[in-house]
Amino acid sequence: MTAVIQTSGLTKHYGRVTALSDCTLTVPEGRISALVGANGAGKTTLLRLLAGLAAPTAGEAVVLGGTPRQDPAYLAEIGFLAQEIPLYRRLTAQDHIGIGAHLNPRWDGALVRDRLASLKIPLDRPAGTLSGGQRAQLALALTLAKRPRLLLLDEPLAALDPLARQNFLASLAEAAAPKGEGEVGGGLAIVLSSHLIADIERVCDHLILLAASRVQLCGDTETLLAQHRVLTGPRKDTTAIARTHLIVREDNTARQTTLLVKLNGPVIDPTWTVDEPNLEEIVLGYMSQDEAGHGVGRGQAAGRLSAIGGDR
Amino acid sequence: MIRFRVNGRSAVPPYQQIVQQVRQALRMGLLAVGDQLPSVREVVAATAVNPNTVLKAYRDLEREGLVEPRAGHGTFVRALPPGPPPGTHSRLGRTLASWVRQARADGLDDEAMESLLRVTLQASAEEEIA
Amino acid sequence: MTWVTWRQYRSQGALAAALFAALAVALLISGLHAAQVWHSASAGCRKDGICGNLSLTNGAFTTLVIATTAVPLLTGMFWGAPMVAHELETGTNQFAWMQSITRRRWLAVRAGWLLLAAAVLAGAVSAVVTWWMGPDHALNADAFKANRFDITGIVPVGYAIFAMALGIWAGMLFRRTLPALAVTLAGFAGLRELIALWLRLHYMTPVTVYYKLTGSPPPKGSYLTVSQGIVGPGGQPPVGTGNYVFNGEPIPAVCGKAIQHPGSIAPCMTAHGYREYLTYQPASRFWTFQGIETGIFVVLAAILLAVAFWVLKRRDA
Repeated sequence: MTAVIQTSGLTKHYGRVTALSDCTLTVPEGRISALVGANGAGKTTLLRLLAGLAAPTAGEAVVLGGTPRQDPAYLAEIGFLAQEIPLYRRLTAQDHIGIGAHLNPRWDGALVRDRLASLKIPLDRPAGTLSGGQRAQLALALTLAKRPRLLLLDEPLAALDPLARQNFLASLAEAAAPKGEGEVGGGLAIVLSSHLIADIERVCDHLILLAASRVQLCGDTETLLAQHRVLTGPRKDTTAIARTHLIVREDNTARQTTLLVKLNGPVIDPTWTVDEPNLEEIVLGYMSQDEAGHGVGRGQAAGRLSAIGGDR
Repeated sequence: MIRFRVNGRSAVPPYQQIVQQVRQALRMGLLAVGDQLPSVREVVAATAVNPNTVLKAYRDLEREGLVEPRAGHGTFVRALPPGPPPGTHSRLGRTLASWVRQARADGLDDEAMESLLRVTLQASAEEEIA
Repeated sequence: MTWVTWRQYRSQGALAAALFAALAVALLISGLHAAQVWHSASAGCRKDGICGNLSLTNGAFTTLVIATTAVPLLTGMFWGAPMVAHELETGTNQFAWMQSITRRRWLAVRAGWLLLAAAVLAGAVSAVVTWWMGPDHALNADAFKANRFDITGIVPVGYAIFAMALGIWAGMLFRRTLPALAVTLAGFAGLRELIALWLRLHYMTPVTVYYKLTGSPPPKGSYLTVSQGIVGPGGQPPVGTGNYVFNGEPIPAVCGKAIQHPGSIAPCMTAHGYREYLTYQPASRFWTFQGIETGIFVVLAAILLAVAFWVLKRRDA
C-alpha cells in the first residue's frame, strides 16, 4: 500500500521556539487519521507543513508522492481547512463558489450547492452572517469541491456546538465513503486534528499523537488497540514485565500496581489482570508519561517508540 | 429501512454494534429476507462512523451468511439468523433461576452476579475465537 | 484571478467612480464659470495691471482642488496596504493560497489591476484638475509651485503607483493592516515632502539672474523659485547692524545712515555693489520636471514591488 503521507525527521523552528522536532510518521492511503495532542503540541504546524503553507527547518515530507509546494498541480490535490475557518466575511457562499470555480481546474460547484441546500444554508448571505456551524460546513464543502485526494483539517470541531459537530463529522465520513456499492475506498484520505480524542474516535481509523513537538504514537487504531493492554495487580516489582513488554505508564498505590503496556507477546504471569484499554486511555497514557519529564516508556524498545507504526 | 444507532461510549466497538443491530432487527422481524440494508454512505451520514467500520460489519454479516452483496445494487438480507429450538428459553430460564437462588444463598448480591456473568461471557467469547 | 479581484474590489471601485464623477461634475461647472470670467475680464485687467485682484472662483473649489493631492495617498492606503495585510490578518490567505494558484500569480494579478486602477483614477483626477486650473495658471503663473505642480500633469499618476506599491510592500512586511496603513502614510508623506521641498528644486542645474535692487520684471511664465535675495560685490549676503531690513535682507553697515531716509537705501546699496539675485527653474522645464519626478516615483515603486514579491516567496504563509 502506498502511503499518502510520509515524513522523516520533520523539524520546524520559529526563531528560538521549536514547534516540531524530528517527526517521522506514515499515513497509509484511504485512512481517516486523528492528529491528537495538547494545545501547542505542534498539530497546526504539522498540518501547515503538509499543506505547503510553511516550509520545514529540517527533514522532509512526502505527500501524495511529492514535496508540498506552491504548484497548482499539487494544490489541486490537497484541501486544507484552517482552524479559524477563513472565509471572506462580506462575500456570499455563491461568491466563494465562484472564486473556487475560477481558481481550480477540477471544481464541483454542484456538490457545494447540493450540500448547502440539504443543510439549509443560504447561498446569498454574506459569510460573516452565518453561524459557526454553517461556516464550517460551507468551508468543508468548498474544500471538497476541489475533489482533492487528501484533506487536512485543523481543529475543525473546536468552535462547534455538539449538534454541529455531529453533522460535520457525518459530512466528513460521508465524503470518505465509497461512492457506489462495491467500490473500495472513496480515494479520499483525511487528517483532522483535535485536542479531544473522544470527539473523533468513532470516525477515525488511524491515529497520530504529538506531544512536546514529537510523534509519540502513529498507527491504525485497530492495531494500537490490539497492541496495548492495561495490567492490574498487587503492588510489586515490574522488572520482569519490563523485560518482555514496553511499559508506557506505571501507577502505584500502596497496594496496587497499574500498568499500561505495549505487548510484545502474551502476558504469562497470572497475577496480572489483563484489560483492554480504549483509545483515549492509550493516548492519555503516552501523553502523561511524557509530562512527568521521563522519556516515554520503560523496558523493551523504549528508544524505538517514535517508530511505532501500524502500516501493513 | 433499518436505522442504526451507534453509542460512542459503549464498551462494544461500533462495528459490532451494527452487526448486533442487524441481527436483532432480523430476529424481531423488522428486516425480512430480500430487504436492502442501508448503503455504507447512508449509514456513515447518519452515524458519523468510519466507512471501513460499516464495511467490516457488513463483511462479518456476509461471512455469517445473513446478508449478500449484489454488485451495483447494494447489500441484501439473505437468511435469518438461526434461532434456538422451541422451549429453549423456558428451559434455560428455569436453570438460571435455580442458579440465582444458589448464588444468593452463597452470599452474592445482584451486582456481584452481573459482574460474574459478564466476565464469564467475555472469557467464553475469547475461548471461541482462540 | 481577474474575476476574483473584480469580485473583491467591485464595491470599492464603484465608490471611487462615484466620487470621481461628483468631483468631475463640480469642477466642470466651476471651471466653465471661471473660464468665462477670465475671458471676459482678462483683456481689461491686463491693460490696467490689476489682474491680481480678479477672483475667478469660489475659494471652496480651490480648497477642493488642492485636496486632490490626497488621492494617490488614499488609494495607496485603502487599496494597497490592506491588499495583503488584511488577508494575512484574517487568515483568508489560507483560503486563497490553497486554491490551485501560485501565490505569485495571486499577487501579480491583484496588484496589477489595482495599480492600473489607481493610476487611471489619479490620471483622470489630474486631467480634470489641470483643465480647471487653466485660467488660474494664466492669471497667477504659479503652475510650477509645490501645491500646484503636484496635482496637475502626470506626476499624480507616478504618486499613485508609488503609494500603491508602498502599501503593498508595507502589508507584506508588517502583515497587519493598521501598521501597514501607518507606514504607507508616513512613508508617502515624508518622501513627498522631501522631494517637493528640496530634491525637485535640483533636478537640473537652476538658472541664476541678477538685477538691480529697484526691481526688474520677473522671468516669464510659471517658474519655480529655488532661492532669492541680495548679494554684495563679493557674492556674500549683506551683513547689517540693527533690526532694519530692506526687502527682507539686513541693511549693510555702510548704508547705515540711509535708514533715516528709506528712499535712499536702495541707491546706497546699489552704489556699493549690492544686487538682487534669483535662482530658479524656468517655466520651459515644467514638463521635463514632471517627467523626471514621475520616473523617480515609478522606479521606487518597482523596487518596492520587487521586494514584496521576494518576501512573498520566502516567507511562510
